[in-house]
Amino acid sequence: MRSRLDLYPGYDVLAKRDGPSWNAKTREVLEERLAIGPETRRFFNDIEWSTMTALAERIVPQPADRGDPVPVAALVDHKLATDTRDGYRNAELPEERDAWRLGLRALDSEARARFGARFHELGAWAQDELLKLAEKGDLTGAVWEGMPSKLFFHQRILADVVKAYYAHPTAWNEIGWGGPASPRGYVRMDFDRRDPWEAAEAKPGREDEAYQENLRVGR
Amino acid sequence: MRIPGLGNAADNPKHATPGDDPEHHPRARDGRAPNVMRIGEWVPMRQHRDEEEVDFAIVGTGAGGGTLACRLAEGGLSVVAFDAGPYFRPLEDFASDESHQSKLYWTDERIVDGENPLQMGSNNSGKAVGGSTVHYAMVALRFRPEWFKARTLMGYGADWPLDWREMWRYYDQVEDDLKISGPVNYPWGPHRRRYHRRAHEINAAAKVLARGAEAMGIGWTPTPLATVSAPHGDAPPCVYRGFCTLGCSTNAKQSVLVSYLPRALKAGAEIRDLAMVGRIETRNGRATGVHYFREGRWRFQRAKNVVVAGYAIETPRLLLNSANQEFPDGLANSSGLVGKNLMVQGNQAVWGVFDEEIRSYKGPPSLAISEHWNYDDKGHGPFTKDFFGGYSYMSQGPLPQLWANTQASAHGLWGEALVAEMQRYNHVAGLKVVSEYMPQERNRVTLADVKDQYGLPVARITYSWCDNDKALNRHALKFMREALSAAGGREVWDQVDDTCHLNGTARMGDDPRSSVVDADCRSWDIPNLYVCDGSVFPTVGGVNPSLTIQAVALRTADRILARRR
Amino acid sequence: MPMPSDRASQSPRRRATVLKRRVAPVRIETAVHPVVVLAALAAGAGLLTWFAAGRSKPLGPAAGGRSYSPRGRDVTASAAQRLNHASTMLAASVLFDSGLEHYRGQFFNQAMYTPIVVSSVTLAASLHGAGDTDPGSSRVRHGVQALAGLTGLIGFGFHAYNVGKREGGYSFQNLFYSAPIGAPMALTLAGVLGVAAERVRDADPAEPRLAGLPAGRSLAVATAGMLAGTTLEAGLLHFRGAFQNPAMFVPVTLPPLAAALLVRAATKPEGASQAGAKWGMWAVSAMGVGGVVFHAYGVARMMGGWANWRQNLIDGPPLPAPPSFSGVALGGLAALELIERSRFRF
Repeated sequence: MRSRLDLYPGYDVLAKRDGPSWNAKTREVLEERLAIGPETRRFFNDIEWSTMTALAERIVPQPADRGDPVPVAALVDHKLATDTRDGYRNAELPEERDAWRLGLRALDSEARARFGARFHELGAWAQDELLKLAEKGDLTGAVWEGMPSKLFFHQRILADVVKAYYAHPTAWNEIGWGGPASPRGYVRMDFDRRDPWEAAEAKPGREDEAYQENLRVGR
Repeated sequence: MRIPGLGNAADNPKHATPGDDPEHHPRARDGRAPNVMRIGEWVPMRQHRDEEEVDFAIVGTGAGGGTLACRLAEGGLSVVAFDAGPYFRPLEDFASDESHQSKLYWTDERIVDGENPLQMGSNNSGKAVGGSTVHYAMVALRFRPEWFKARTLMGYGADWPLDWREMWRYYDQVEDDLKISGPVNYPWGPHRRRYHRRAHEINAAAKVLARGAEAMGIGWTPTPLATVSAPHGDAPPCVYRGFCTLGCSTNAKQSVLVSYLPRALKAGAEIRDLAMVGRIETRNGRATGVHYFREGRWRFQRAKNVVVAGYAIETPRLLLNSANQEFPDGLANSSGLVGKNLMVQGNQAVWGVFDEEIRSYKGPPSLAISEHWNYDDKGHGPFTKDFFGGYSYMSQGPLPQLWANTQASAHGLWGEALVAEMQRYNHVAGLKVVSEYMPQERNRVTLADVKDQYGLPVARITYSWCDNDKALNRHALKFMREALSAAGGREVWDQVDDTCHLNGTARMGDDPRSSVVDADCRSWDIPNLYVCDGSVFPTVGGVNPSLTIQAVALRTADRILARRR
Repeated sequence: MPMPSDRASQSPRRRATVLKRRVAPVRIETAVHPVVVLAALAAGAGLLTWFAAGRSKPLGPAAGGRSYSPRGRDVTASAAQRLNHASTMLAASVLFDSGLEHYRGQFFNQAMYTPIVVSSVTLAASLHGAGDTDPGSSRVRHGVQALAGLTGLIGFGFHAYNVGKREGGYSFQNLFYSAPIGAPMALTLAGVLGVAAERVRDADPAEPRLAGLPAGRSLAVATAGMLAGTTLEAGLLHFRGAFQNPAMFVPVTLPPLAAALLVRAATKPEGASQAGAKWGMWAVSAMGVGGVVFHAYGVARMMGGWANWRQNLIDGPPLPAPPSFSGVALGGLAALELIERSRFRF
């Protein structure tokens, strides 16, 4: 399996905040999102919350030494608290909020039934085993109240958790995305070209060059 | 004198955001509507009282409704156009952010089922003044002429009651209105007038398509796009920021919001934002007006004619929700076809990793296209066509959230595998198809038991592929896989479940028994009720439908105005 | 089923070491932007040329001391200065235009530095010549101008090759957006006019000839051709801009008209009035300068306007391009001066 790298050393999309790449609306929207802390919570109760945070760590694991990890669970909580929906749901799934409450509860019960502990108390391996069963739709206990675990895993867990993580500037830094871009867009669009305000990729042996370039994106 | 482009869009970064909340308080009121081209400015708007019987009440302001509203108002008719969504000011309200910009989508509840349940919301449904054109990918293609007679000439689907030569004239007109930026010579189809702006510079992702096409021996071209490559009025040219499908904060994109609607307002049309139409009233076999919810209460606008232009889900939903004693099965439904023959288009993709940096997030997402398989009916060798219909395919430029979601939902990655794969974001390019699916009566929109925030039954959308659709999917994926590999793509994988666009739930035709509306988009059952959006398509073709929707709207306007004279 | 144990081989902690953020290395930050270095290099090369040309200037005793009057007394000297004004304008246009465009192209190929250095020395040589009222050529200037002419031709070859190898080959799309095929020729024009200046200096003021032909007439026809070429380039790029502003038609209509007048001037009998051609040349010169103003307005019309200059200066209409018209037109004036065989003020 591939592993995570420090591919864009020194790149911080927030360095461009006050430059021409961000308009006022973007600054306002991101400010609001960055105000969401790891413990900001309005929707989930205590039990759901501990399952949710453990679940988020399995779907989008973050480096242990990351000083300011993306508050993935809190971002999902925010989506549900504000009732932001996709615009459709499979006929076999309940409404988004109900699906989440039901699904987290069911996951916890399955953990207890199979491993004798709550989901967040399990090791990473066991948590993954449970999630793989859900992914295949093999969790079919009565606790699911007829909701297919496969649909819950794909359409709720994956969609909501993954989107929450990649809505955060820290995740953008990790993948070297240019970030917000208005009014200034981009100029150089050919293969292997980047504008001076884009992330520079660390080529093997030339990491310092990329690091220096990345310090300049906000200038 | 105001010099266009100076002291306005230019100072956007320093400008504060507007103080009002367009998602909860209507902006088009008190005799004025937002001037979407200028920060903080307004334009005067003619207004009508509810009791006043206006010539036309139009439900929806997107590609169909907005275009029609403009032309009818310019023809001297009194027009009120309703939209359930907000009246955005792109320069001020649009953030460069995927999550936030979901405010452009129709995210009210809808139920999906069938063998291949559709994904709705972001990729096919808009809820804003300007409709889905506010977040469409701007791909502006004409139908292949034969498709207008698909049944007679090609043996599948149904014939349109329209002649392609007449449509060619309306395509000319809409391309002029939108200042389409396209190649100097378009390689497929009969002669057409030169586009009004030159094609955009293509990005690396589009060059991947070009390399692949050249390796496979088929044609390609820069995509004709409804975003200007040189200034047009107050619209500056595209800055290649890459957020096209999340709303253009530059106004280079010629959505209906910034093209036809300002013209409509100038010509005296009224636009009502945050106005959800729930029911069309009829008496003695004629429509008399619409019930709509705005500013906290239900109201009734009287009208001599009603046009439904809510796109292929909301249009049949409104017609079915308007069932009354006179029309117990819903309006315009004597054929029983309202809501049936829902057609989406295939939107499968192949993705691969490249040694070069691609950075496909720059520029409009679909800068290059091949329409080869729309015009080659036979194919050869491993690519012999064993199905009806065709497809085009285009380069892609997904932003991080969409890309991560694709990797998770379609590629099945999560955990460490996902975060590591995501780091190759800048090295990925893909090809995505827009393909022709067959009309089937079992694919349909019905009313669900669930009700929305207005207390109206929501749509239930049932969708399944037929064998022809599946055969087409296989062909397209196989061809694109080879093309992408030939262009240098490694670890190529298929995204098989995606669809796009909505058409066909109120099809047009020559026969009241087998169609809902006639060639002029007028319903067979109710002479003053029209449908004007993608719902009227009898077949979908292998190209994005917006240009055809707009061309049909222009024609409909001409027919309505001609009848009055 | 195995119990939750240390089988968790995918521990995030272990992966984390791979991701460890680099600690900023202690180093003395050089605050000098590479572009500044390049500009300094170009300026240095220019200065060297200036001094080199100055040292080799013949100090003819016949001149009776150096004359610093604005124009040489001989028509050839005056016309040569004019030709050097022309090559100055062209070289400056090339310097800034290629600088901008090659900065956009991020000097992806080392050869992309060439036109900047060469146009700098050409600029210096031309400026030097523009102020030189003495008859008689300078070997250094002559050499530099010839180098410019050659460099432009090589650049043309490079650009043509670059366009052809793109996806789509010699299509409109690539003519619009890949290396501009005609642009390097501006450097050749600068070189040709600069070389002509030196040759004219050496010519007989009573009957100036260039390469065996009457200097004025041949130069008039040549500059008319140059105007036509420059018009083609402007036409292509304004077509790319869809002639969205009516003013964009001016550089594709006025210069051909003026060029036609210039050709007519070359065929007129001796002593005939050349007022029409002269006005034509001045109009084109003014258009070239006015074009900068229009292009500046064009930059302001781009999204973000001048505040977004880092994008709009390169994506918008190129500011340094229009003066190349002025350069060629000044060459036309020199030709007219030679045809009339008398110095004129304007």
